[in-house]
Amino acid sequence: MSGLKLRGVRKSFGAIEVIKGVDLDIESKEFVVFVGPSGCGKSTLLRMIAGLEPITAGDLEIGGARMNDVDPSKRGIAMVFQTYALYPHMTVRENMGFALRFAGVAKPEIARQVDEAARILELGPLMNRRPKELSGGQRQRVAIGRAIVRHPQVFLFDEPLSNLDAELRVHMRIELARLHKELATTIIYVTHDQVEAMTLADKIVVLRDGSVAQVGTPLQLYDDPDNLFVAGFIGSPKMNFLSGVVAAGGSTVRLPDYGDQSIPVAALRSRPADGTPVTVGLRPDHFKRGGAAHLDLNVELIEHLGSETYAYARFGKGEVLTIATQNDRDLKAGARLAAHFDPASALLFDAAGQRIR
Amino acid sequence: MAQANLSRNERISGWVFIAPALVLLGVFMIYPIIWSLWMSFQVGKGMNFSFGGFTNIIRMTKDPVFIRALTNTLIFLVVQVPIMIFLALVFANALNDPSLRFRALFRTAIFLPCVTSLIAYSTLFKSMFAGDGVINKALLAVHIIAEPIAWFADPFWAKVVIILAITWRWTGYNMVFYLAAMQNIDRSIYEAARIDGVPAWARFRYLTIPMLKPVILFTTVISTIGTLQLFDEVYNFTAGTGGPSDSTLTLSLYIYNLTFKFMPSFGYAATVSWVIVVIVGILSFLQFLVARDRRPAA
Repeated sequence: MSGLKLRGVRKSFGAIEVIKGVDLDIESKEFVVFVGPSGCGKSTLLRMIAGLEPITAGDLEIGGARMNDVDPSKRGIAMVFQTYALYPHMTVRENMGFALRFAGVAKPEIARQVDEAARILELGPLMNRRPKELSGGQRQRVAIGRAIVRHPQVFLFDEPLSNLDAELRVHMRIELARLHKELATTIIYVTHDQVEAMTLADKIVVLRDGSVAQVGTPLQLYDDPDNLFVAGFIGSPKMNFLSGVVAAGGSTVRLPDYGDQSIPVAALRSRPADGTPVTVGLRPDHFKRGGAAHLDLNVELIEHLGSETYAYARFGKGEVLTIATQNDRDLKAGARLAAHFDPASALLFDAAGQRIR
Repeated sequence: MAQANLSRNERISGWVFIAPALVLLGVFMIYPIIWSLWMSFQVGKGMNFSFGGFTNIIRMTKDPVFIRALTNTLIFLVVQVPIMIFLALVFANALNDPSLRFRALFRTAIFLPCVTSLIAYSTLFKSMFAGDGVINKALLAVHIIAEPIAWFADPFWAKVVIILAITWRWTGYNMVFYLAAMQNIDRSIYEAARIDGVPAWARFRYLTIPMLKPVILFTTVISTIGTLQLFDEVYNFTAGTGGPSDSTLTLSLYIYNLTFKFMPSFGYAATVSWVIVVIVGILSFLQFLVARDRRPAA
């Protein structure tokens, strides 16, 4: 039992409220990622779970027990910091065994635990080195090792890969996914990188301005976002947003900025009235040959990534749209493009940014 | 060729620029140091001296006042420096806690003594520790003592007052170094330790102190040198006598007395000065040796 329950959790620094009432359930052994732009409160929320920041209001339960006022060391958690927070004057072995000395663990047992963690993380040859003699990725592994030896119920990761270069980040991401399988514990992971969130998470919690914008599996958030914020935040390259007006009894959306082209949209349960201003969301990869709807656009720029070709195209006063062309290598800047898509893939959002379903 | 001339010109102007400083350093520092070394082998009174070889060193070993001054100085050193370093560390650690209120006030209060005028604070200490001074009155009032302590008349208590005074004066100075160093330590290191269940005393003992080791070494060396040269407080508190009965006499005060108070014995005074140099050298070397970064066998 190592699930977490957050009920109406709030945090204020003086008069400024940074966490504005978060309700969240995290299942045992789940890999949960808190994601959001900087300043959204994701790290603060994690630090509140860790006990490094007091909770202003609300309840935090870990493994069924209320933890609001419990000392960080007694919450059954371990944390890995963005800066690794290794003890600079200690060797890797001492770093990993340090906490156990104060937990009343006998020396041979400490050695056994540390060796076990070193085996899992392949740190064997580095055990007698100091942190400054390690690379960023190795330091990160030591920080994880220091967490592992305590056998926590919940691992907390605060932007652990932010200080690594791009290549190493991909490598460590895979390592972390493997580690989660091997350790079978709950992991809460904070990042601002939606790719990390998509690839690692069982469940993503998108935070915005101290509130939860949406909770769901990576593909739920990608396919079925609740609001413009989540739609724009999840997915790379970003979703295209076109402002339009509902017309023809809710069956089409007229796009004044795109030369008054009309696009058909799938029937919606809420049946918005004609004239309702809406935002149409279309992901770059929603554009497919043979789609029943299309937009006439002028190509401004082409990006060849090898496996994929992105066209940046616009019409009239409209915003530039990103279109994944399914590797149409013959497309040239300046060409006209009829970008086809399936009307069912177009998402509609109301003026407040909420999804119209 | 042209370039060689140019660089030679530059070298010359470089030397010209630093020459005034070098000349002053040479005349007022290097020459006196060498002169004092030469003097330390001279015997005689006043300006009337001659080469005496090791006579001064032999005289020193048989001079009870010198032995007394050396012992007193070492007592001050051994007792005062560790107390001060420890206090400075504790204060710095407390003042580094962001949740402490009035931090700036405390920091200023603890640092202020070392920029206070020496005469002002000596006078204040003398009045505080007088027979009917505020310290005796306070101790009497809370019944810690039954009768006033004669602070400056008792050899033991006189030493205590000196130690209290220099500790009061220099603790803040050392604390500022520690505070500066502590503010460079990544806060997440302490947060990681808190989450790992490392108790507060252990965070101080096993994290703060080792991470401050270079600064602690620096302040220890500086404080050792300062205490070995202890003069001002003793001179002011005891009117230059080092009394009662030489119980607070330090090496520096003895040198001063040998030179300016007694029948001037410049040679012997120089020898005693060099004793301080040698002790400072040995102690600094030992401190570096102890603090050396030892790697565990790989």
